[in-house]
Amino acid sequence: MKKISPIAVVALLLIICVVIALTAGQYHIPLHTLRRIMLLKATGAAPGEDLTTPAMVFWSVRLPRVLMAVLAGAALSVSGVVFQGIMRNPLVAPSFLGVTHGAVFGASIAIIFFSKAAFAIETLAFIWAVAAVMLVYLIGGRGINTITTLVIAGVIISTFFQAAGSFLKYIADPYEQLPTIVFWMMGGLNNVLWAHVVRAFIIIISGITVIYIFRWKLNLMALGDEEALSMGVNVKAARVVFMLFATLLAAASSSSCGIIMWVDLIVAHISRTVVGPDHKRLVPFAALTGGLFLLVTDTIVRSIPGGEIPISIITSFIGAPLLGYLLMKQNKQWRE
Amino acid sequence: MGGDPVGQGIINMHNTPAIADSILEVDSLSFGYRDRMVLKGISFSVKRGEICGLLGPNGCGKTTLLKCINRILHARSGAIRIHGRDVSELSRNEIASLVAVVPQDLHVVFSFTVLEMVLMGGTARYGLSGIPRKKDFLRAHEILEELYISGLADRRYNELSGGEKQMVLIARALFQGAEIMLLDEPTSHLDFKRQHITMEMIKRISEEKGLTTLITLHDPNTAGRYCHRLVMLNRGCICHQGPRDSIFHAGSLESVYDMKIKVERTDTGADYVVPHSKPVKNEKN
Repeated sequence: MKKISPIAVVALLLIICVVIALTAGQYHIPLHTLRRIMLLKATGAAPGEDLTTPAMVFWSVRLPRVLMAVLAGAALSVSGVVFQGIMRNPLVAPSFLGVTHGAVFGASIAIIFFSKAAFAIETLAFIWAVAAVMLVYLIGGRGINTITTLVIAGVIISTFFQAAGSFLKYIADPYEQLPTIVFWMMGGLNNVLWAHVVRAFIIIISGITVIYIFRWKLNLMALGDEEALSMGVNVKAARVVFMLFATLLAAASSSSCGIIMWVDLIVAHISRTVVGPDHKRLVPFAALTGGLFLLVTDTIVRSIPGGEIPISIITSFIGAPLLGYLLMKQNKQWRE
Repeated sequence: MGGDPVGQGIINMHNTPAIADSILEVDSLSFGYRDRMVLKGISFSVKRGEICGLLGPNGCGKTTLLKCINRILHARSGAIRIHGRDVSELSRNEIASLVAVVPQDLHVVFSFTVLEMVLMGGTARYGLSGIPRKKDFLRAHEILEELYISGLADRRYNELSGGEKQMVLIARALFQGAEIMLLDEPTSHLDFKRQHITMEMIKRISEEKGLTTLITLHDPNTAGRYCHRLVMLNRGCICHQGPRDSIFHAGSLESVYDMKIKVERTDTGADYVVPHSKPVKNEKN
């Protein structure tokens, strides 16, 4: 019997979950109403009175949010896959390498000094995320055996930006600015607009496509610097390119949805366990699984009675114990 | 794996290769880490089709020399030339198409399949994105069959035994299609029988494919048995070098290993090395 591809399975699950997520939430849209809304759009007819509210909820709130959840989850997961591959460490993620704290710092600057303008928040979050990774590479990227020094440099830069972010929180206006910074840090998809989705779609799909095209080089990077050099890969250039694209993906997600913890690390790790280390299967599988994971999590947080809670609370509740379990399992395997 | 080749072909083992033009030249090569010099003015050359053995005690610079030839490490002074072209002026792709490396012990974090590992050897000729094509898959399978390990194609590298891993790395080096093969202690983790099977395999493929092979070895008996030429290192310098028959004697080996050594000849005509007494000096390296 022909073996069913895990990629096909997770793609099918994602389609099913997208349909469920489009109907679920505080404002329930039944499946038959959803079908009518879609048909009206296809025919170009105006919605009747009974469909006005569900159509508005669907087109203005529900659909962009669902699409953004899938895109952000895919971006974070592929970013995690790339960082784990080039660092040859299944327990690292962009958040370990200064990306997250750099983005928080940039967004905090925008919230305090640029009147919380959405464009300023997204742009500065992205610029400072890239700057953080560049600093990490500048400090830890010299020489051949740089993996450990890069991780240590990531800790240094993360700590620095964490301190700078805390200072910004300290000077922020406690009524106007501080709640925005705190909520942004906890992450969420409740403020997603179509403009975010379009921008994220272009960046994320382009980034994932480039990474997928160069997947074989990523395989070699995952094998080791000396191995990659021996096979003809310009390791330093390849590492910079992969780090930039992975940061771009993480920042594209963070600039629209705030800080969503653990998705990058957990999904990348689980995906590698399921489909193996070859990035030909790993990149698409992680992208689909990440989209699925964040979509399900977001659907849960916005469907809980009594109001929405920040998504990172749920991803952390799932991610931290899961990582602990994986670490214990890995230690057991090493002892054996 | 095929039949046991141990004990075959001793008499003609040391014939010089038919084609004998120099392909690899190491010229006054020096390398060091900060103020500690590891290689000091190393010069030797290897002819096309030769198997050249690098002998010497631990820490004498054998592996460092291989890494300098492959430009993993950058020489402090001197030059390495392949076909007369300075390695420092070649791109990584050009080096990979000329030199294949079989590392001593490859630990991988992410366990690829054997087929994936072998296919990685062809990266230099895959173009910018580096994706193997159908013909590459066919060729990789052919090489696995040549080395009698086609049954391992779908196994994970980390699940293999030491001997199987070594064969996979040799298969990858062959798939790379380079003229020069650098092998770093290919027999160090193998049992007695596997050591000789592996060395026979290396000798056979070197001859069949006309490869120039530079191989670091701990066991002088293995070096004496399979190498056409020997380069003996101690404390970063060359003590002796030349055709195997002219320098494989007790005096040269004693100066390399700092111990009394006897070289005895068996009735099959093969020489073997045995320690004569305790080392004459404490090991410093």
